[in-house]
Amino acid sequence: MSTPSNAAVPAPPMPLIDADSIGFWEATREGRIALCRCTDCGTWLGRPLERCSQCAGPTAFADVAGTGTVYSYIVVHSPSVPAFAHLVPYVVALVELAEGPRLPGILLGERGAGVSIGDPVQGELIEVASMEERALAFRRTPS
Amino acid sequence: MRREAVVVGIGRTAFSKASGRTPLAMAAEAARAALDDAGMPATEVDGVIDFHTSDSAAATDVGRAIGAVDLGLAMDVTGGGNVAVTVVGQALAAVQAGACDTVVVFRSLNGRSGNRYGKGDRPAVQMRGDLQFAALHGYVIPSMWIAMFAQRQKHVFGLTDEDFGHIAITTRKHATANPHAMQRTPLDMETYLSSRWINEPFRLYDCCLETDGAVALIVTTRERAGHLRQTPIRVAGFGEAHTNGGSWTAFPDMSQMYSAYAAKRLWNSTDLRPSDIDVACMYDCFTATTMATVGDFGLCPRGETGTFFAEGKATYGGEVVVNPHGGLLSEGYLHGLNHHYEAVLQLRGQAGERQVRGAEHALVTAGAGPSGGALIYEVAP
Repeated sequence: MSTPSNAAVPAPPMPLIDADSIGFWEATREGRIALCRCTDCGTWLGRPLERCSQCAGPTAFADVAGTGTVYSYIVVHSPSVPAFAHLVPYVVALVELAEGPRLPGILLGERGAGVSIGDPVQGELIEVASMEERALAFRRTPS
Repeated sequence: MRREAVVVGIGRTAFSKASGRTPLAMAAEAARAALDDAGMPATEVDGVIDFHTSDSAAATDVGRAIGAVDLGLAMDVTGGGNVAVTVVGQALAAVQAGACDTVVVFRSLNGRSGNRYGKGDRPAVQMRGDLQFAALHGYVIPSMWIAMFAQRQKHVFGLTDEDFGHIAITTRKHATANPHAMQRTPLDMETYLSSRWINEPFRLYDCCLETDGAVALIVTTRERAGHLRQTPIRVAGFGEAHTNGGSWTAFPDMSQMYSAYAAKRLWNSTDLRPSDIDVACMYDCFTATTMATVGDFGLCPRGETGTFFAEGKATYGGEVVVNPHGGLLSEGYLHGLNHHYEAVLQLRGQAGERQVRGAEHALVTAGAGPSGGALIYEVAP
């Protein structure tokens, strides 16, 4: 996944980046994890929006540490998605970030055993073969 | 006086793994079968409504294919099983509002030989909105999204693998009495537990059967129904919930589903109670969907669905027969419209070997995760 040279691995499904979400993706190019936040009321928005869903105020992307906990997780065994078939079994965690929003990401270095809901994790950005933007992944940290 | 709308006809094609036919051809066959069942000519159809994920035939095309060329309602609802109750509700509303008189409601898809929901390379699914944050982890297919709910259910309620197994086993047992079911081989716990992982905590038998086929219903006025062949069936309760923008990741408590919200609307819309339900056709794309929704709709306490099944309360002689046709898990993944077919059949007393005796009220649910709905059918007095 972090080695962009393997030509035999098909490209992953491409995220359709839009004007609301581009700040998230631009930040990943620069190695930053950033979430959308209302600049008026401070609400963190998991899905980026042009205006805040709570107060309709303007929003901007703010850097976050990328720390959170495992809200839930799955162990992917089916090679259903061609780009990820060579990785199975691998773990996708749904991480609740310290700021509140949840984001999914691969739990690096895990094959299922020993992972628990509530485990603390640290986000990190990994390279994707076919694009300049990076993928948000997570790694378990000692609790 | 307000017009009342009722269901007067049901129809379907053969279910298979490779139909070799277009969704249009199958939709037309199912619509004609439903009209024959009702005893109505196709010339009376002036409304068509369906749902699709860019894998079906358009309402206007199906109308033309059966010779109904002047439609007062032609609606293609974009959505999965979460709108399998919506389309019936909209057909009823259109007839009751006087927008049209007779509506074909259909779902048609080559879910196995064509656009497979279990595959990650479906061209129709674009990684926009929330999905853009899932794409780069391959987190893009339903057996992953619902497995995430299942893991949370296990954590919150302390569920065992066997709890999920009991749902798969009972559902399969029901399918053995249904000649139309795709899978009729009995399933035991050992076979369930030793089946391969799909996406843990889901094994093979936790997942429904991708299927080719079509199902159709006919909705018309109560007045017209009095001159038709079948006992008319009406809707006695209705409630949908589409929460948190339909997000697979933002649902507040993933040990529950949309049903926690839809249940309030459903039970507020009727004097009926969960104990009045004789047949429950629960949308079961995965065992975990049954697990959450049976509890959320109040058929048993939350978190106890596995025990409810294990103790025989979800089958003949128990409290409510859940999915007598075998559900999506064993009859086939007709995206939930087959649940309406079964409910109508049971209330008419036409279900043959699998008839639930004295069935008066049938719950039909649709959807999983953040979005879906439910209705209660009964014989129209």
